[in-house]
Amino acid sequence: MGMAQKTKLKFNIQQIKFILIFILFFFFVLTSSSFASSSYVLPYPSAMPGNIFYKINLLKEKVMKYWYYGDFGQFFYNLKQSDKYLVEAKTLFEYKQHLLGLVALKKSNEYFVQIKPNLLSAKENNKDISENTDILSEAALKHTEVLDELKLELPEVFVWTPEKDNPTTINFKEILDEAINIRNESQ
Amino acid sequence: MKKILFLTYSFFLVFISFFSYLFLDPNLTYLHNFFTGFSYSNRGIITLIYTAIVFLFFVFYILFVKLLNKGVLVRKDILILIGISALGLLFSYPAMVSYDIFNYVATAKVSFYYFENPYLLMPIQFLNDPLLLFMQAANKTALYGPFWIMLTSIPFLLGFGQFILILFNFKFFIFVFYLLTTYLLNKLNSDVKNLIIFALNPLVLFELFVGGHNDIVMMFLVILSFYLLKNKKILLALVFLTLSIFIKFASLFLLPIIIYIVIQNIKKREISWDKVFVASSILMFTVFLLSTFREEIYPWYGIWFLAFTPLFKNKLLKGFYLALSFGLLLRYIPYMYLATYLSPTPLIKTILMITPVILYLIYMIVFRKLKLRVKK
Repeated sequence: MGMAQKTKLKFNIQQIKFILIFILFFFFVLTSSSFASSSYVLPYPSAMPGNIFYKINLLKEKVMKYWYYGDFGQFFYNLKQSDKYLVEAKTLFEYKQHLLGLVALKKSNEYFVQIKPNLLSAKENNKDISENTDILSEAALKHTEVLDELKLELPEVFVWTPEKDNPTTINFKEILDEAINIRNESQ
Repeated sequence: MKKILFLTYSFFLVFISFFSYLFLDPNLTYLHNFFTGFSYSNRGIITLIYTAIVFLFFVFYILFVKLLNKGVLVRKDILILIGISALGLLFSYPAMVSYDIFNYVATAKVSFYYFENPYLLMPIQFLNDPLLLFMQAANKTALYGPFWIMLTSIPFLLGFGQFILILFNFKFFIFVFYLLTTYLLNKLNSDVKNLIIFALNPLVLFELFVGGHNDIVMMFLVILSFYLLKNKKILLALVFLTLSIFIKFASLFLLPIIIYIVIQNIKKREISWDKVFVASSILMFTVFLLSTFREEIYPWYGIWFLAFTPLFKNKLLKGFYLALSFGLLLRYIPYMYLATYLSPTPLIKTILMITPVILYLIYMIVFRKLKLRVKK
């Protein structure tokens, strides 16, 4: 009887060990999955369409294009603008301003496409691009994270019906997939 | 006698140049053959020699002033002495006590080699650039105004990508502006006794011919602006003052005086130029003091107020600035010996800087009292 109890006890300790290892394993798996997310920081949302400062920002954006001259300058300019418009798109989608959000996402895509050529041009001009290539990868990862979140939050297809206009069908899945592809291809 | 004096002075300056190479940065691969590491392992000896150099420099300077006052030295001799100073010091190692010249080169490289905006990109962002091995402000965007950056294209591009040539081009560039400033000061006040106060001042020679600081470019434009104002060319004067502000913003402090002169000109009133230059030097001295709040007082900032000394008569103020020049050169001593910017270096720096000024003021008070007693 006593022996049987000991065996039972021993078995219990083994069980506990197994559970502990199982918990630890899951802990590491879970935490390691968080390492895969990007540490890249996106900016705060700035003025939104309709605000007077939005128009000023549009003007500033055009002027700053010349201030950020050079391969690296243009690299940072395009990345900055792409970041800004992605955040703008996210905010607008959250506030159900889908058409405006789409315009912002399109702008973010357009700027993102231009980043890689800037780096290639810098490489041609004998500049070490390793650090900026890493920045671009981090940014692409962060952008993809945001776009993936949007994919979960937004419906696959949405019909936008304005008060005095024809309805527009928005294929969010297609649009977001395309945006993710742009980020993946740019790395 | 004159020949012996000039020869001794020449040897002394050449000695400073040789001495400067003891401070070579170990990572400055371009001059690796000259690296001894002596200044890193013999801090006591180095500090002692440097202190002796500062004292001797001022002994020579006072001697030149006295001989000029006695008529032993004439204008031509002063020009020879300027030439000797330039030849003796221009080939010295510029980063003996300040690494600013490397920043000038790095900013110029960002602008005219990489063709990037130096106000956005730091030298450190150009990985594997050889300058990063030895420069000390690689993590800063351009520290100076746009006009300075434009001007640096000249020494940079004339270096044809050769670092040593670029480095000494910068020193020569500064020398040219020193000559231009001296020429203008001479035009504003033709008395060579006044000119020598600036032109042969050890602080000016050391900071410009050894360190190659760009403060002289800013001051040249300021003096040019005053020269034009004196000749009633107001618009041009304002243009050059603006350009000087676009080198370093310190000259912005002179704006009230410039406005005063312009108003007096419009109202066709007489201008007391002596008072204008005294006020200008005091204003620049104020900016010099205010630099404590920004970073710290750097010795080469002394050029801001010293450039006005040949233009006014106030002997007390001239003596004060001269004593301060001496104190400013002593500021390098604590770091040279202790190799730290932390305590007690800042305190010793301040004590060393103000001691000659206090001694000068005490001397002046006692001297004046004695003079008054003799008169009575």
